[in-house]
Amino acid sequence: MTDRLRITGGAVYDPANGVDGDVRDVCVEDGRIVSSLPGDAPRLDAHGMVVMPGGIDIHAHIASSSVNQARRILSDERTADPASPPALLDAIARSGSGGTVPTTFTTGYRYAGLGYTTVFDAAVAPVGARDTHAQLDDTPIIDAGFYVLMGNDAYLLEQVAAGERDRARDYAAWLLGATGAYAIKCVNPGGIESWKRNVRAVRSIDDALGMQGVTPRAIMETLADAANALALPHPVHIHCNNLGVAGNVTTTLDSMGALSGRRAHFTHVQFHAYAGGNGKPWASGAKALIAYINAHPEVTADVGQVMLGPATTVTADGAVEYLLHASSGRRWVNVDVELETGCGIVPYEYRDAAAVASLQWVVGLELFLLSADPWRVVLSTDHPNGGAFTSYPELIRLLMDRAYRDERLRGVNHKLLAGSALADGLAREYTLREIAIITRAGPARLLGLADKGHLGAGAAADITIYARDADVAVMFATPRYVIKAGVLVVEEGQLRRAPPTRRLHVRPAYDDAVMRDLSAWFDRYATIALANYPVSPPRDAPVPVGAGA
Amino acid sequence: MSQMPVGGLVEHVTCLGCGCSCDDIAVAVRDGRIAEARGACALGVSWFGDGRVPAIARARESTVTLDAALDAAATILDQARRVLVFLALDVSCETQRAAVEVADTLHAVIDGVSSSTVAAAVLAAQRRGRVSATLGEIRNRADCVVFWGTDPAARYPRYSSRYAPEPAGLFVPDGRRSRRLVSVDVGDARGPADADTRIRVRADQELDAIAALRVMLAGRSLGSVPGDGGLAELVRTLTASHYVVIVYDAEPGGLPPEPARAESLTALGQQLNAVTRACVTPLRAGGNRVGAESVLTWQTGYPMTVDFSRGHPRFRPDDGARALVAAGAVDAVLVVGRALGIPFALDGLRSVAIGPAASEAPCEVAVDTGVAGIHEGGTAFRMDDVPLPLRAPVPGPPVAADVVRSLAQRIGTRRTRRS
Repeated sequence: MTDRLRITGGAVYDPANGVDGDVRDVCVEDGRIVSSLPGDAPRLDAHGMVVMPGGIDIHAHIASSSVNQARRILSDERTADPASPPALLDAIARSGSGGTVPTTFTTGYRYAGLGYTTVFDAAVAPVGARDTHAQLDDTPIIDAGFYVLMGNDAYLLEQVAAGERDRARDYAAWLLGATGAYAIKCVNPGGIESWKRNVRAVRSIDDALGMQGVTPRAIMETLADAANALALPHPVHIHCNNLGVAGNVTTTLDSMGALSGRRAHFTHVQFHAYAGGNGKPWASGAKALIAYINAHPEVTADVGQVMLGPATTVTADGAVEYLLHASSGRRWVNVDVELETGCGIVPYEYRDAAAVASLQWVVGLELFLLSADPWRVVLSTDHPNGGAFTSYPELIRLLMDRAYRDERLRGVNHKLLAGSALADGLAREYTLREIAIITRAGPARLLGLADKGHLGAGAAADITIYARDADVAVMFATPRYVIKAGVLVVEEGQLRRAPPTRRLHVRPAYDDAVMRDLSAWFDRYATIALANYPVSPPRDAPVPVGAGA
Repeated sequence: MSQMPVGGLVEHVTCLGCGCSCDDIAVAVRDGRIAEARGACALGVSWFGDGRVPAIARARESTVTLDAALDAAATILDQARRVLVFLALDVSCETQRAAVEVADTLHAVIDGVSSSTVAAAVLAAQRRGRVSATLGEIRNRADCVVFWGTDPAARYPRYSSRYAPEPAGLFVPDGRRSRRLVSVDVGDARGPADADTRIRVRADQELDAIAALRVMLAGRSLGSVPGDGGLAELVRTLTASHYVVIVYDAEPGGLPPEPARAESLTALGQQLNAVTRACVTPLRAGGNRVGAESVLTWQTGYPMTVDFSRGHPRFRPDDGARALVAAGAVDAVLVVGRALGIPFALDGLRSVAIGPAASEAPCEVAVDTGVAGIHEGGTAFRMDDVPLPLRAPVPGPPVAADVVRSLAQRIGTRRTRRS
């Protein structure tokens, strides 16, 4: 470990600074990138290697009450994937277990082992925020934050119904700070509350839902406006209605249209890009969806690629998990979370012999390959929903290596692939620069993380160095070196250090008047005292919001 | 030790007397003692006590410094062939996290109270999943509350008034009057006296009764239905309700009388969701036992009975603490939590206890700590897996989490030095 380090001779991919494979030095001092170092600074020889910023996962499920519910039912798969402690030099190393939903220590070690240094958990029930912070405290190496679930919380729905958009904004600001969250997540707007009322389908974003008759459109508008008015570093993060349903691309396009002109992030769009339905067979809706995204610069997305193999579906969207349980006969967990959100879990496997799984795999790849702007369509598998994060190297190979992709395409079920762009032939191969964008620079920009995702002076010294390999899956699965905040975490391919992590969260200001109303609400409906609701503020300073950011 | 008030009123205190984890207790403190636990039920009042706990560190028969006790503890555990770490009651999740680290470092076996109470339910969930809800959902939504072989009044005194059926909720505005209260009496285990509907099931026919409900729910006919016709009526009640909660006591003072109850009720609950919304929720006792399951799960992947002897966690549900001790499979035990009342004897074992009133247990080394939620803060989990903050209304002995972390460091240092 050293305070200074000069990484020499590597081909640097730093798209945020316009660096595209140029051989140049990268200098590190006190955990940050600096423009130069004295000549006697220690050197790390990266000749012939590829240097990128540390990976950033914009959407994964790694630390929440729901994730822990999933862990506890997956004893079968994790028995086959024990994780012995790595040989760390600077910390007591911990054992764990893997599978599609690894334990906390193993999650941190494995992400770092892939060259990822920042990860966001995409779905945390407000009432469970304390659980998430505790799990993240036990997740080493990676900096982490989470998105707090809104859009089915009864208090918010009441404000939407009453047209109290300012109060909704103040409530959102309070909730972000009270839970120590980074962004607002909106899952199946209004649809989870409907599921609790035994209304299982949202037909359109203009359905009047529930007691208050609010529409998904109004919920999404309210939350998008709240996030944008608060000038949060990341806009509202939307999981649309009708996930995983044939024909749902209509809902997705309607949702994007509803927020036209507003900054918003749409997540795991692969699961929302299906044509067909209403008696017609499933089909790819990727072309229509990506055409819309390409034409609308205010829209950003992560793909949520399905990887053929084992997965665990875990989502706040409880209704969809009931359908998956009913159609597959698999184990099923549902937890309705007090007037806030839900949780559904079904362990799953995407098989290449299955028509729908094959279509899902194809739709995700089409979205990637037809995307005109890698800065706005970034990589995710919605870990562990579309596949575990450990499958990212394989996904990168599918994007970079057409011959391999076509070979895999020949092995999947083609029943539903008529009219698919991929089946008709897509020649595109992602470049290393584009991979660096969809796994680093892009997510950092979408998340408003000014000091991450690039290698310019002042950035956090989160750096991954890969040895080139003919098989890019091998290259991306086994970085030679990983540096986190200036500390050499992976050395010669071995995990060696586990430096302290940083919690990424925001604490926007709000008008205190909302607290009187909230206090009355808590007295009437909550099972936890308002005074006991907020978590202890994370020890790291909040990421700035607003005009000063 | 942190600064704590010696007098005054501490509000919003969380009680761990049972799994209800009521967080609305106002503790009146005088001269550093608990004078009153306002709002607490009798069980809670007894759990809080007057806040006095022993505060010594002991090695063999002598009182020693904390450091000396921890050195002695580290030596015992480090020299043992096979250690059992037992997560007992009344410690915070922070303490539990440190205890799992100790077990991991020692390649020990770790277990908690769950293996001797809810093991069958844990395994059933792994096979089948679960349908559940947090208590706030039940309070605000459940219009049909079925108490299955239990009256919460005895072991969970404020369940009825805080969660269901009494409180008014968002979708049950008239409280008790908005809800149908059903008691399924299983043998002698009777439900609430004021139930709107009462169904009696013989204890040896409980599983048959659940199966009959499932058959009728599926619309199939049944040759003979156990009981007096009440089950057919119950199916009509359940399916006509908007949101059903079936509540059973997962650990009625020990092993449940029918180990397959949890799995059968889960199957019933899952099936009910084809027609209406329903959940099945266990009543869990106190002391943050649910927190132990959560912490073990996120650190090891398994909620109970984890064996680190191969350097990584293995799930050994058939070899819980009680069985291991009975079989002579461990030679030393570290109890973290309240050592009195653990489900096995310490005779013939080398033993260390760290926790509330540890010095009163027959252990070779004992370090008294505060009680989580009385003398020290942190996090605990309610019976429904919802995390709550703990407060520390009165000052007390060293904080358990600090003591166990300090032990973990000592053991870690020894192991690192050797490797």
